[in-house]
Amino acid sequence: MTDTDKNAAWEPRIVAFLCNWCSYAGADSAGVGRMQYPASVRVIRVPCAGRINPFFILSAFRRGADGVLVSGCHPGDCHYISGNLGARRKFALLGRLLGHLGLEEGRLHFTWVSASEGVRFAEVIETVTAKVRELGPARRSAGGGR
Amino acid sequence: MNGAGLSSRIAETAARLLSEGRAEVVIGFEQGSIPMRATPCLITDPADAGRLIWNAFCSNNLARYLVPGRKSAIVAKGCDSRAIVELVKERRLKREDVVVIGVPCRGMADPSAIARRFPGICVSSVDETDGMLTLYGGPEPVSVPVSEVLHASCRLCAARNPVICDIPLGDPVVENDPGFPDVEAFAALPADERRARVEAEMSKCLRCYACRNACPLCTCESCFADSSQPQWVARGTHPEDVLAFHVMRAMHLAGRCVECGACVRACPTGVDLSIFNRRLAADVAELFGSRAGLDENAPQPLAAYSMDDSQDFILDPGRKPE
Amino acid sequence: MTDEITGRDALVRFLERLLAIPGMTVYAPVAEGDGAVFDRISSVSEALLDFPGAVRSPRHILTPMTEKLLSMGPDGRVEEAIPTPGPAVLFGVRPCDARAIAFLDRVYAGGDRTDPYYRARRDALTIVSLGCREPRPTCFCTTTGGGPLSPEGSDILLEPSGKGWSVRAVSEKGRALADATGIAVESDGGNPDAGSIGAEMTPRVDIAVLKKVLDESFDDPRWQTLTAKCLGCGACSFICPSCHCFDIVDGEEDGVTVRSRIWDTCQFKAFTKQASGHDPRPTGADRFRHRMMHKFSYCIDSYGMPGCVGCGRCVEACPVNLDIRRLMEAFGGDGLE
Repeated sequence: MTDTDKNAAWEPRIVAFLCNWCSYAGADSAGVGRMQYPASVRVIRVPCAGRINPFFILSAFRRGADGVLVSGCHPGDCHYISGNLGARRKFALLGRLLGHLGLEEGRLHFTWVSASEGVRFAEVIETVTAKVRELGPARRSAGGGR
Repeated sequence: MNGAGLSSRIAETAARLLSEGRAEVVIGFEQGSIPMRATPCLITDPADAGRLIWNAFCSNNLARYLVPGRKSAIVAKGCDSRAIVELVKERRLKREDVVVIGVPCRGMADPSAIARRFPGICVSSVDETDGMLTLYGGPEPVSVPVSEVLHASCRLCAARNPVICDIPLGDPVVENDPGFPDVEAFAALPADERRARVEAEMSKCLRCYACRNACPLCTCESCFADSSQPQWVARGTHPEDVLAFHVMRAMHLAGRCVECGACVRACPTGVDLSIFNRRLAADVAELFGSRAGLDENAPQPLAAYSMDDSQDFILDPGRKPE
Repeated sequence: MTDEITGRDALVRFLERLLAIPGMTVYAPVAEGDGAVFDRISSVSEALLDFPGAVRSPRHILTPMTEKLLSMGPDGRVEEAIPTPGPAVLFGVRPCDARAIAFLDRVYAGGDRTDPYYRARRDALTIVSLGCREPRPTCFCTTTGGGPLSPEGSDILLEPSGKGWSVRAVSEKGRALADATGIAVESDGGNPDAGSIGAEMTPRVDIAVLKKVLDESFDDPRWQTLTAKCLGCGACSFICPSCHCFDIVDGEEDGVTVRSRIWDTCQFKAFTKQASGHDPRPTGADRFRHRMMHKFSYCIDSYGMPGCVGCGRCVEACPVNLDIRRLMEAFGGDGLE
């Protein structure tokens, strides 16, 4: 059995933080449209991408997530006018920092999905699941230390 | 001007400010209790102003001691002044409450670098003349220029002269912003090696919070790390909790960190937190064109946004909307 | 019966013999950044033998920074995690650190209560300390009742003797370990150099006087001024060999509830904060006063010795050079000279 085969049998656990006004509704449209996408995501609904504290993302990894997806409204479409734009700056820095530290590379993804984009939502989940599946289960540091 | 001359000018200035009532307290440095150390001191009586000194070991960031509403004078090098700029911007301080006694800085000497340079010598005393240190304690006195034993943050300093200043003392020094060679060198390592380096640094952490408490910009009245409801990060030294604490602290300082290196110098076990903070500073400069502490009027990059911000990191599978 | 081991090579030989004992775990100073830390070694080359002093005390060997006490699975079954360590040697601590372990013994295993976690680790541990030839600028062991050759807490003390070391078995445990290594030990008083070492280290204060003054100085206004620069971090406590305050926290790992003991310190804001929100030690000065009072008054009452062995680590580690010796002198300084 190759590593790829092993990963194919393993189902990643992905935590998805979805904005209530767009991406969460986008997930609904995907459901209503009976679109198929991997059952790898655990959705957490948040009022806005701007609500997402970087700590939510770190906590998800700390509690054993293999991947984290953050999805908000397209720029210009924020229900609160600019929540997603402020969040974009934060996410850009967090993603780069974690990459710099050699952590969670390929496991943390950001995207925009609107309420009508059920197809895009399904595609996003497909893509993220495939990427995380390729990486295999997240390596966690053992407890203890000195 | 040499250290001794500056020391007496600082002392005279402090005594004047206190007796004229322009400041309730003068925050400066006095001689430390061990070799190669100066220590922060808070002077309230003009008669004590003579304790104030200036030398190559005045490495703490004194902006940490500014208290809102207390009229204070502060002996500020480049990094202290940068912190004051940010504190004023965040309305933690009123500019008119602070008298900045500005001292251009040639960089501070790092006792660890000195120990590496002269292994086996237990320094018992030190003299400083014109940027040259003479160290006693070995079989023979040894000399080294301060510029060769600087703290890492001082080698990489972008603004050595006070950015804001009310009472300038000493001659300005030539600025030489070296950019971010440390960040580039670290980024050039393979991801596994970077991760291993980070894990090795984190394994030294005691969770004593000296980094946080020494930081002039860690001004939250209650820190997320101390919160039990909700408990953002578990206490104790599980490697992932330690890492989560440091990543979160770095994120809280993104766009605000003035790169003074006080956290690194405060750490009793020498955890190199610059790996976190310098990367964020480099990214903030690249993405948002902003460097904390250098411009009193620039908005804070994480309290601002633009429609045109880069979003090349946004996942876009296949198809563009619209 | 004496055996003088000479120079660095002798320490290497001694360590080699310790490592050769079957099933023996050896802790020794190893490099960590610019400093040293006590950790398990598997070969002599890992050990730092020419180190000026470890940045961090060896206390984590006996009381880990995060120590699992028990776990409880989803079925509600509780499993205590009392360690069952094999024999171990702590090599290369200084006499001050060994004395701190003697102090911790009184805290965790003295009197009528014993901490089973500490007891298990302690019983398995034999302590080989390295006497000091010269004090560092931060040392003040003689002030708190120790000395550069103090045997208290050690099982074997390696005393500087000429250019080498003479091996002194302080306890039965130490004699047994020396026998296992095949290195001969000397009897008491066999080292002619012992008397002169540390003679220049005159005590800074009389600890009895300091305690008396502290007991009357709870409301002294100097607590405010002397500690004004304290940052309120825990660096001093966490590198201290005798600080031992802890907290107990519950967490979760892989679906299992884990109860852990973690290091805590009176210097933290949350240390004495009560559920009501009230904090009996609301200011930094209150907290630093407690540190002094605990070390130099309450510990003497409870354990018969101060909670400070004068290793000087906190003097070195304090980010703002708040020197505990200055506070000792401020309150107990009139007791001498």
